Amino acid sequence: MTRASRTPALRMGRRRFFLGIAPASILLLSHLAGPAFVAVAQERRYTVAFANLTEEPGKTLEGTGFTGREVRESFVLAARRYPIDLVFYDNQRDPAKALTNAEDAVARKVNVYIQYLDDAATNVKVGQRLREAGIGVLAINTPVPDAPLYTIDNRAAGRIAGEALSEYGARNWRGQPTIGVVLGHLKAQEYRVPDRAQGAIDGLKRQLPAIKIVPIDTQGNPARVGPLLAKVLASHPAAKVLVAAMDDASALAAKTALESAGRLSDSAIVGQGVDRSVHGGLNDKKEIDPNNRGSIVVGSVAFYLDRYGYEVLPLAMRMLRGETVAPRTVTPHRLITAANVFIEYPPYDMN
Amino acid sequence: MRHKSLFVIVVMLAALIASVPAALAQSDCKTIVPASPWGPNDQTGATNRVTPAVTKAAAAEIKDGKVIVMSYPLADGIPLFGTRFTKTILTATSLAPGAAFGENQLTYMEDTWLSQSHVGTHLDGMGHIGRKDCYYNQTPMGKFITQNNITRLGLENLKSFATRGVLIDAVKVYQQAGKFKGNAACKKPCLEKGTVITKADLEAGLKMYNVTLREGDIVIVHTGWGNLFEQYPAQNAVFNSGQPGIGKEAAKWLVSQKVVAVGSDNWAVEVIPGEDPKEAFPIHNILITDSGIHIIENVRTDLMAAEADQTKRATFFFSMTVPKGVGMTGNFVAIEGIR
Repeated sequence: MTRASRTPALRMGRRRFFLGIAPASILLLSHLAGPAFVAVAQERRYTVAFANLTEEPGKTLEGTGFTGREVRESFVLAARRYPIDLVFYDNQRDPAKALTNAEDAVARKVNVYIQYLDDAATNVKVGQRLREAGIGVLAINTPVPDAPLYTIDNRAAGRIAGEALSEYGARNWRGQPTIGVVLGHLKAQEYRVPDRAQGAIDGLKRQLPAIKIVPIDTQGNPARVGPLLAKVLASHPAAKVLVAAMDDASALAAKTALESAGRLSDSAIVGQGVDRSVHGGLNDKKEIDPNNRGSIVVGSVAFYLDRYGYEVLPLAMRMLRGETVAPRTVTPHRLITAANVFIEYPPYDMN
Repeated sequence: MRHKSLFVIVVMLAALIASVPAALAQSDCKTIVPASPWGPNDQTGATNRVTPAVTKAAAAEIKDGKVIVMSYPLADGIPLFGTRFTKTILTATSLAPGAAFGENQLTYMEDTWLSQSHVGTHLDGMGHIGRKDCYYNQTPMGKFITQNNITRLGLENLKSFATRGVLIDAVKVYQQAGKFKGNAACKKPCLEKGTVITKADLEAGLKMYNVTLREGDIVIVHTGWGNLFEQYPAQNAVFNSGQPGIGKEAAKWLVSQKVVAVGSDNWAVEVIPGEDPKEAFPIHNILITDSGIHIIENVRTDLMAAEADQTKRATFFFSMTVPKGVGMTGNFVAIEGIR
């Protein structure tokens, strides 16, 4: 009989029985075992190590606008909910440093180690060393063999953006010449941006199967968006333009380029990431904002790197409690627009 | 045939009737906000708990007549939430040569005070915070808004009251528990922003001074964060960047203790960033919207904390002056703790 299939009466009966004997047992055991038992009966605290990809100031992660500092901060905030003491490491995107960090964690006898490093070969070694030491491992975005993985789904995120643009185009410009521009650091394999771009193309074709796709590779430099997009606009003077930007900085740069070209009314943009540059705090001018519904940046797909702690620490707690953890947990990407941005990102902070 | 036509008309009428409430749809506040324990007409909230007996018992706190300031002066440059502002303009025309009145040469000055009400040390009223369009006591606030003010739950409904104040020194609780983590910008010990003050912390703070909460009390939590307010404008950005404060569990416990107000030396009383990144100011909802308990922000707590530490007594007679602006959602206040 599974737990779920037990009858309520049976469950209630067991609960009553437990409630009846539990206080007496605790009293008896605490009397027999003394203070040691009382200490054990209190909530146990665990030590969880988080080895971040990089905390180099200004360095952004996963082809989004988020920094390692934001990822780390999310762990600090999320840990408030759990009996967890955190130990932080910075892998500095360096295999040697990552191995040193793992050794230190072994010496400290941490309970769980969360590895965030985009080097599969090093992750194999790190995983092996930690397992030898009896330390549970969780991986972020790049697998560690036999460890549960929490990961972005670039293909799905791209598809969400593409579908949103496709729907926008079909709703507003059906029958008119329309091009799809896929814009960003398109060859950034380390961030799996090609997957993101392919997802966007698939999504764009969902309602506009004949749409012409124009890729623009900025090589990771948003300053290149203006001149490159201007060329495309000049060669398609009568076309409507749906821009699937691979990150928020590129989305904002595309908006500026479209404005300069006088093509705002012909365009719609969806970004990727939903970093602070588009949702902002209370006092910021926000691109995605209920009071800015007319923006041609119709939305951005959330990557939630600033909430990794809230997503990953529950998995760590499940491991620590001996519960089953799915081998792969995917970021719940969703499109953030003026209609839901204040729900997803309440602007309660003033800086 | 006639029956068929009649049926069509009835169906159309039914559809029309059904569509009217939908067109005028408002949230069903009875499912969103709890009813007041003081009845459907209550606009006062938890200060209903302050009975003459409560005030009389609070008066026993006055032992030597010492008055301790618990509010900050309003001044240009103090930290303000969001787009709030406060600005005074002095009228001093009668000081001009020849502008004095009469043989007695009377002169006068006065001010124009352009200010939002939730500035400096201030009290949040029942009309301040809602859930959707539903406010305290299941009030569908959309029906009670004019261009200038609210016509229900305004601050004029606040009961005139005096009661006991109880200081909880969260800084000391954290220091004694060996879990204190400060912020370098504070010149006196302060808890770091994001520190969730729990029910257990509040209980420890009460136990520290052997206090048991009573119905009708006002609880003031000292976090030390107010020291950044005192350093205005130099530390305004740090002050506004977040704050230590009570969490949801602590707020619910305070509700269960039947207090009438909760104050702190920070700008929202509750912890920022909050416990759940997808919730906005949930403690405001728990205390004000659901329970009619006032929130008092930017309370000056350091002097009372020092006094409590010195005398080993954390209770006082809570004296607060609230200008009762009709139809207002809150107001700046002056607070004195009398011992």
